[in-house]
Amino acid sequence: MFALPLDLLLLFTALSPLAGILAARMRRNAISGVYSAAALAAAAVSIYPVYQGASAGAVSSIVNVGAFTSYMRVDMLAVAMSAVFLMLGVAAAVYSISYMSKERGSPLYYSLLLSMISGMVGVVYSGDLFTLFVFWEMMCISSYVLVAFSRGSGDSVEAAFKYLVMSGAGSATILLGISLLYGMSGTLSFEGLALAFGRSEPSLWIYVASIVSLVGFGVKAAVVPLHTWLPDAHSAAPSPISALLSGVVIEAGVYALCRLCFTAFLPVQSQWLPIVMVLSVVTMVVGNVMPLLQGDVKRLLAYSSIGHMGYILAGLSIGTQLALTGTFLHIFNHALMKGAAFLCVGAIIYRIGSRQIGDMSGIARRMPITATALAISLFALIGMPPLNGFISELTIVTAAFQSDLVWLGIAVILNSVLSASYYLRVIRVMLQPTASEAVQGAKEAPWLMLLPICALVGMIVIFGLWPDPVMDLMQRSAAGLITLLSQVTG
Amino acid sequence: MGPSYYLAFVFALWAVGIYCLATKRNMLRMIFGLEIMINAANLSFISLATGVPGFVDPLAHSIVIVSIGLSGAVSAVAITLVVYAYRQYGTLDIRELKRLRG
Repeated sequence: MFALPLDLLLLFTALSPLAGILAARMRRNAISGVYSAAALAAAAVSIYPVYQGASAGAVSSIVNVGAFTSYMRVDMLAVAMSAVFLMLGVAAAVYSISYMSKERGSPLYYSLLLSMISGMVGVVYSGDLFTLFVFWEMMCISSYVLVAFSRGSGDSVEAAFKYLVMSGAGSATILLGISLLYGMSGTLSFEGLALAFGRSEPSLWIYVASIVSLVGFGVKAAVVPLHTWLPDAHSAAPSPISALLSGVVIEAGVYALCRLCFTAFLPVQSQWLPIVMVLSVVTMVVGNVMPLLQGDVKRLLAYSSIGHMGYILAGLSIGTQLALTGTFLHIFNHALMKGAAFLCVGAIIYRIGSRQIGDMSGIARRMPITATALAISLFALIGMPPLNGFISELTIVTAAFQSDLVWLGIAVILNSVLSASYYLRVIRVMLQPTASEAVQGAKEAPWLMLLPICALVGMIVIFGLWPDPVMDLMQRSAAGLITLLSQVTG
Repeated sequence: MGPSYYLAFVFALWAVGIYCLATKRNMLRMIFGLEIMINAANLSFISLATGVPGFVDPLAHSIVIVSIGLSGAVSAVAITLVVYAYRQYGTLDIRELKRLRG
């Protein structure tokens, strides 16, 4: 019906309650966990034939269900993004098997996890704005419930309500922006929008639509004045969900902005991108100053996600092919780094039962593998040379210098220097010789948690030393995105 | 009457929704504000469906029907959270609940 990975995901999501019933009958929560991990892995494998199809050019298909016709368009960028989503999804699902083993209601958790990831894959595969919006809401609604999932802590309900209100207002604003684009062009498919607006003169309404859409998608992408939901929601959620929210969900907002920038906003691009550029600098400064004040390690990582969104938006705002390559590469790398960091922190919290950095002193002696993995992912987040974060930040900075935006490049470099101060504080506390009370009885995390952590950290090192395959994939994605208009006009 | 009057009303309605979210203390009223914003967007779709004189585009109407369903799902989740918050704290006042730092 849709593209193959999305079909599989939707089918598995619809069937997941059956696995839940089986798990309840046999009193084994692990069954639904294994089911969802296997479903995500199957969908990830099925990306390969789609990738082969997309390398020849974008594949479009029209799905006709009654009155509404939805339109799927799979190009290189969609394949690359969905691969990132599913990769981190598999890691989070495997991790959840042991993280959620003691929780009641875990079948519901896995159903929601599957539907959130199907929503994200749907967002990147959709070829028109309203299909994108429907999958967007599927992703959002599942994530509201997942944020509130931690049992027994009151903070999570509050955080989820705050997240729901802000993100819901953002979704309503997105819908308003979509309706304005529809009113101007009479179509919602990306190709139609590129044709309708590509060579037209800017009008008043396209300015209004571009600002309204920037606000709407900016809420989800945590652009700074609209970021206040993120630290609460990401720190209140269960750790595998924090990894997914920080690693991939907020990136879906950037994906939508990238798509719109090179289709509907082509006439106002030269005015729109400087606004994004200023916002990106503000975002990275706030995202790197606020973590200095945090004592809670999950809030620290959540704020640092805002800082990394700043780098990603900076790449988008430069707007050249090299800069967009850097943006997509950083989305991929950030998913690996932040995913690994949140999973490690989750394993530590699982063992010591506290989220304060002060309570973690000396944890490196009790949980050596987890602490080493956390240290590697934090070094990657700083942007240390042999690891993958360095490659993508270097690409963005190089693109900034090439486009004569020296101040933007320097802002990115200064911010990564600033970010070292709080990441290194976490590493220093972990290495302290005196163990705190909570750490005394801690032992190494279960192997099911270590498996996805080690896989992600392995990829951080491998793609730091040998970034060529991903770099090549992201370069083709960026080229496909920029040349969409010329592909349509032929 | 051209669509510009309707669009002025749509933006006014959107502003009412934002105002409601920003000032109301009751969690249920905040959900109403959210619904007002979604309805502003729906109204915008309907008013822009008559781009060609004498012809009404059915695409906009089918979009609005799907969107009404989605907003129903959002409010269902929101009201569930309100019920949980009420059971835990015995109040619907959002400022009473605010123990989290912003």
